[in-house]
Amino acid sequence: MNKIAKLFVTFISAITLALVSFTSSFAKVEGEYIVLGSAISLTGKYSSNGVHTQNGYNMAVDRINKMGGVEVQGKKYKFEIIYYDDESNPKRAAQLAERLIKQDGVHYMLGPYSSGLTKAIAPVTEKYKIPMVEANGASRSLFTKGYKYLFAVLSPANQYLEVAIDLAVEKNGGKGVKIAQAFEQDAFSQDVRLGILDAAKRTGSEIIIDDKLPKELNDMAATLAKVKAVKPDVLVVSGHTKGALTAIRQISEMKVDVPMLAMTHCDAAKLSKQHGKKSEFALCASQWHKNLSYKDKFFGSGKKYAKDFQKEFGYDPPYQSAESSAALLVFKDAFERANSFDRDAVRDALVDTEMQTFYGNIKFGPGGQNVAKPMILFQVRCKGDDCENRVVAPTKWASDKFYHPIPKWSERS
Amino acid sequence: MEKVKQKDLILYSGLIILGLAAPYLFSAFKVQLTYLCVLIVLAMTWNLQGGEMGYNTFGNILFYGLGMYLTASVQVGMFFPLAEWTESGGEKTFVHTTAQYFQGIGVGLLVSAIVPAVIAGAIGYAILGLRGHYFAICTLGLGIAAGEIAGGIEIIGAGQGFTTPPFPAEIVDTEARGKFFYFLSFALLVGTFIFVKYIYGSRFRLILNAIRDNEDKAEAMGIQTMKYKIVGWMCSAFFCGLAGGIMGGLIGYIDSTDVAFDGREMGVFMVLMAILGGKGTLWGPVIGATLFHFFKEGLWTLILGWQYVALGVLIVVIVVYFPEGLMGWLREKYPERFGEVIDEKDRKAQVELK
Repeated sequence: MNKIAKLFVTFISAITLALVSFTSSFAKVEGEYIVLGSAISLTGKYSSNGVHTQNGYNMAVDRINKMGGVEVQGKKYKFEIIYYDDESNPKRAAQLAERLIKQDGVHYMLGPYSSGLTKAIAPVTEKYKIPMVEANGASRSLFTKGYKYLFAVLSPANQYLEVAIDLAVEKNGGKGVKIAQAFEQDAFSQDVRLGILDAAKRTGSEIIIDDKLPKELNDMAATLAKVKAVKPDVLVVSGHTKGALTAIRQISEMKVDVPMLAMTHCDAAKLSKQHGKKSEFALCASQWHKNLSYKDKFFGSGKKYAKDFQKEFGYDPPYQSAESSAALLVFKDAFERANSFDRDAVRDALVDTEMQTFYGNIKFGPGGQNVAKPMILFQVRCKGDDCENRVVAPTKWASDKFYHPIPKWSERS
Repeated sequence: MEKVKQKDLILYSGLIILGLAAPYLFSAFKVQLTYLCVLIVLAMTWNLQGGEMGYNTFGNILFYGLGMYLTASVQVGMFFPLAEWTESGGEKTFVHTTAQYFQGIGVGLLVSAIVPAVIAGAIGYAILGLRGHYFAICTLGLGIAAGEIAGGIEIIGAGQGFTTPPFPAEIVDTEARGKFFYFLSFALLVGTFIFVKYIYGSRFRLILNAIRDNEDKAEAMGIQTMKYKIVGWMCSAFFCGLAGGIMGGLIGYIDSTDVAFDGREMGVFMVLMAILGGKGTLWGPVIGATLFHFFKEGLWTLILGWQYVALGVLIVVIVVYFPEGLMGWLREKYPERFGEVIDEKDRKAQVELK
């Protein structure tokens, strides 16, 4: 035993030495770089949206750096981001946030993907008073916890599909509708659900199916069988990218006829590309669409952003990428107005943010959510085999009329 | 004998001093160190079933998750209406005072130790009659079922998750939270180690071993195996519940399947760590968990996107080259250092018998 004990002691002391030499932390600003940190889902169930987020961040970092960077106290700085993979796991995300702040010495954070992970990171950034601009945590409960260092460039989740219910009621001559809904069991989708419950109450609509879907979502046939039996006026589905893909796949396989299908994450799932005509008439909530008329000097218009993004990454940017890019613009703006790297000065500058980006107007409410930007709805429409997302609401940007009701499968070619 | 004991004493006091000094020496690594303590506790308690008793359980994650939810629920429920706390979009904000926070977590941890132990007793009574693979698969189901059920209970946040009470804002020191959870988990680790070491020197361990080696014979010898199996599981559940409670407070956000009943990660890790170090040994799980944690923290970020492939390779390497774990491997190579005497005559005699 004593030899083993010696071995063990040697092992421990070796590790001790290694750790002590590692502890030297980096600075928040290194030479000409402002270092931002972010835990992103590169693997696991949110990996596709995690990559959309990362691409959005990278695109903005490149663009801002190329166009002169950030000017603070007369000196030009460039952005740099340290990424870790949170594996789509809140436990890991919280740990990595701690690591970014304590070991890598990051003083400014960018958000992760999804509400659940943001919920896990926010207590950490709050504890260390690290300003975090996040672009992908929409759950309303994030903004009611009194967080002072959390800023979200997007609209809260409960607003996603409320408008869709209003549209359905309008098409029904102002009378309440019958709603069937199925939501993934995660923070974001459950918040979308709460928004629908509010809308149903307000419009006197009735919820006749209220299902929960598992996290590793790849089957919702049970819900769809019920939908076939009770014939609701609206079917609402939300479950990130996998939810959107599963819904369209099974609705078309089972030939489920509903007059209106409202979803989230259609553009992130590239529905119109992946499922083509099968996805036609799906109504989708979105934070952003390239046809919107917002502008800024870095990316120009939404259309220009989409073109540049397409060139760089080879696909049309979903709103997850656009809002992520916008987060960097917000940070740049705040640094320049604060004219300092003091965390509290930057935080105060963030509070006063009022700007227009290609993604939309940004102004933070008392809870940290963006209050200056409406949600939009688009509908997948096809010409031949070519399908596209067309904005149908709000009317200011609508390029197409909302098509209602969805024709029956037997009548679709 | 005296000499060995003195050496042990030096080793233990050295480790305790290192443990107490660690959060000051490696201030930036407090959270990782806390994780390490919890991982060791999980590996050691799993070893009681998987290593000593020969019952490969995937169900210990159930107690870990239960402990997490219980601690948080008690901590909130003692002072505020739990349903309003977990309701998403609730406009009210509840803030724990410093005293409330610590009272809450204290009582919460007590509950999170006792209730899982009781539940382990009840479930154990029902399923510990199963043996081998049947038991393993049954316990695998336990963790998954618990995750799905917890995801449907509104009062603990359902799919929204449960944000645990934030560390009291009146404590200005930003390091205080990290230190508090580290020392809590370190105390748990020391407690667990003393308990397991005590078991290793007791008749109880011999009975567990007898069950592992041949349960029917053990029963024929007059041992009430069921009783001991249940008690063994309850002991594990007690410490797993505490570990979960501490983790919940540290992470700050409980999600039903990804944080609490996280069978896919924690549930597998605890098995892997025990096997890596060597199951059925006192130090095996400790060494296994330590190595695993360092491997994970050190390498995973370097091989972004490939970390699970690397983990898969690690599992294969362990199973192929170290089926008995590191301790088992060392023991085979240097048996005399483990106090084993090889009687050449006896060995030859056995070979001849075969």
